[in-house]
Amino acid sequence: MPVTKILTAGIGEANLRDIGVYRERGGYTQWERAVRELRPSDVLDLAEKSGLRGRGGAGFPTGKKWSFLPSDKHPRYLVCNCDEAEPGTFKDHMLLEEAPHLVLEGMLLGAYGIACHHAFIYIRGEFKRGYEIFSAALEEARRAGLFGRNIFGTDYDLEITVQRGAGAYICGEETGLINSLEGKRGEPRLKPPFPAVEGLYGMPTVVNNVETLAYLVPILERGAEWFSSVGTERSKGYKVVSVSGHVRDPGNYEVPLGTSVREIIELAGGLRPGRTLRAVQPGGGSSACIFEEHLDWPYDYESMTKAGSMLGSGAFVVFDDTTDFVNAAYNLVRFFAHESCGQCTPCREGGSWMERVLERLVHHRGIPGDYEMLLRVSGSITGLNLCALGDSIEPFLKSVMVRFPDAFRSRIAEAVAR
Amino acid sequence: MSDKDFAALLERLRPEFAELIAQYEHKRSALLPMMHAFQQHQGYVSLDAMSAAAEMLEMTPAEVEGVVSFYTLLYRRPVGKYMLQVCRGLACTINGAEDIMAYFREKLGVGHLQTTPDGTFSYEEVECLAACDRATCMQVNLEFIYDLTPQKIDEMLDAIRAGTYAVAPMAQTREPGPTWATVPDSEIAKGRKSPGAVAVESPNNPGGLGDASGTIMLDHLITRDVYLFGRTTERAVVDSRAVVETIDERADRAGH
Repeated sequence: MPVTKILTAGIGEANLRDIGVYRERGGYTQWERAVRELRPSDVLDLAEKSGLRGRGGAGFPTGKKWSFLPSDKHPRYLVCNCDEAEPGTFKDHMLLEEAPHLVLEGMLLGAYGIACHHAFIYIRGEFKRGYEIFSAALEEARRAGLFGRNIFGTDYDLEITVQRGAGAYICGEETGLINSLEGKRGEPRLKPPFPAVEGLYGMPTVVNNVETLAYLVPILERGAEWFSSVGTERSKGYKVVSVSGHVRDPGNYEVPLGTSVREIIELAGGLRPGRTLRAVQPGGGSSACIFEEHLDWPYDYESMTKAGSMLGSGAFVVFDDTTDFVNAAYNLVRFFAHESCGQCTPCREGGSWMERVLERLVHHRGIPGDYEMLLRVSGSITGLNLCALGDSIEPFLKSVMVRFPDAFRSRIAEAVAR
Repeated sequence: MSDKDFAALLERLRPEFAELIAQYEHKRSALLPMMHAFQQHQGYVSLDAMSAAAEMLEMTPAEVEGVVSFYTLLYRRPVGKYMLQVCRGLACTINGAEDIMAYFREKLGVGHLQTTPDGTFSYEEVECLAACDRATCMQVNLEFIYDLTPQKIDEMLDAIRAGTYAVAPMAQTREPGPTWATVPDSEIAKGRKSPGAVAVESPNNPGGLGDASGTIMLDHLITRDVYLFGRTTERAVVDSRAVVETIDERADRAGH
């Protein structure tokens, strides 16, 4: 199948970090056009009509998210979420380092679309290189007069601030991110109120993923219909999928939504010779596995949900027959237990106890009843937490326990027989 | 870093901080950038740094430490000149990360969250670094290294020891201890890190939350006598005795 290049166009071919190169390829023309010729509401209309949905994990319609901002409460803020840390996801990392001006232009358009005058980008602490690259790009853009006071001679002002995180997965959750941006512990807030009403500094705030904002640039350039004509009924446009695990050419592949699971695996070079597929985790560490019966299913929001999983952030991890699923489950449960902020008891206690139980399974010290207990405990964590982290512990674990019960039961039986 | 050196550092950073604080509608937002700056110059976030930031941002030192302790990239104790952070995420794990980690532990002679006795290397096994297409991966002082092999690791460690490595060392203003973690060794052995959730479990602290062992408070008492101000003499004597006992106990454990 042909390779799509929208956001990924030019990456690996041209030095898109250079503002001159980016502008030669048409960069910032949409930004200039928007400020000179369009009203903020026009940009919002385009976002809404394009069918663009959040690419960070939740898949919420972008235009709708913006439209929730109350009209009478100012100032309002845009925050670009570049705290990419979902296990298996590495698309924002690439966009930030390889196409920083595209990310910035997307942010500028988003900020204009909600008519705010101060926008932030929150960059994962580990992305030190990306932070430096983006900061340099921002300075170039500032010197070129692309933002600041009276942009392009209009009365529109916009300031951009770059914030670096300091190591915490939970800051990718939008209210955790806002707290972190306010100089607090990155603990998620109780919702409602949602950030659109009460976000950063208590004011209306939109938090959008890097990829979501970046897609605004081609949408402005080619029109909402161009974007919405691609994809499936409710999943429009393109998606950058981070393919990793047991494939020959792991990497970021941009595809129209609705491309089949099989085609995505083939894009990444297929499985290694002589190996067979056991499972695919289609939406990051928080998602349940799908299996060979789903190979010809379209990769879009609805189908992945119907398959019992989710599209999430587009992290697509492939597992072949060499995978030890007990160890894999332990790995992810340990991740969530480690990254739990500790506010909600089910997530804090449930996660760390499950980690300990799985740890003993991995080390062949399981005891009878562990299998049932794991399912019971993971089931009683879901739905009882302030944010989605606690709910993310169960899906992968349950999906592989139900699909490969022998892998778990035999570990326990071996331990008991010793 | 002596008090005088810290005062000089603070004076040097003040203009930068003033500019930083002015960027935000609420000055407290400058906290994380300020902590990054201090760590860049001190190699870790010292109590002096947290107190100074508290003063500038109109927070209490306790509030600042509460925030700092949430983030795994801010070190409240000195670390090695080279922070080696190996990814233990799932995509790396199914591509051989466990072997890579075992190789590191063997080569360095230290484990997760530990620093080599010469203070050169700190070693940590970290969560997914978002570079799964080039697994297995790691960061050295936050610079990425991809597609790890034993040979690559050997070359890197040799180059660092020879002083010819491309990545610059971190500042080191105080000699690091065996670990920079602030949770007890038993928890470190289990591979836990500090942020909030799971700390010390004891009969008085069933959920395992907080500073039940008093380690953090005692550290303050040891390193900054200012924490004794405002206490009654009696209380100060009690606290000081606890400090002495803790020091003795630690010395015993270390086999002195």
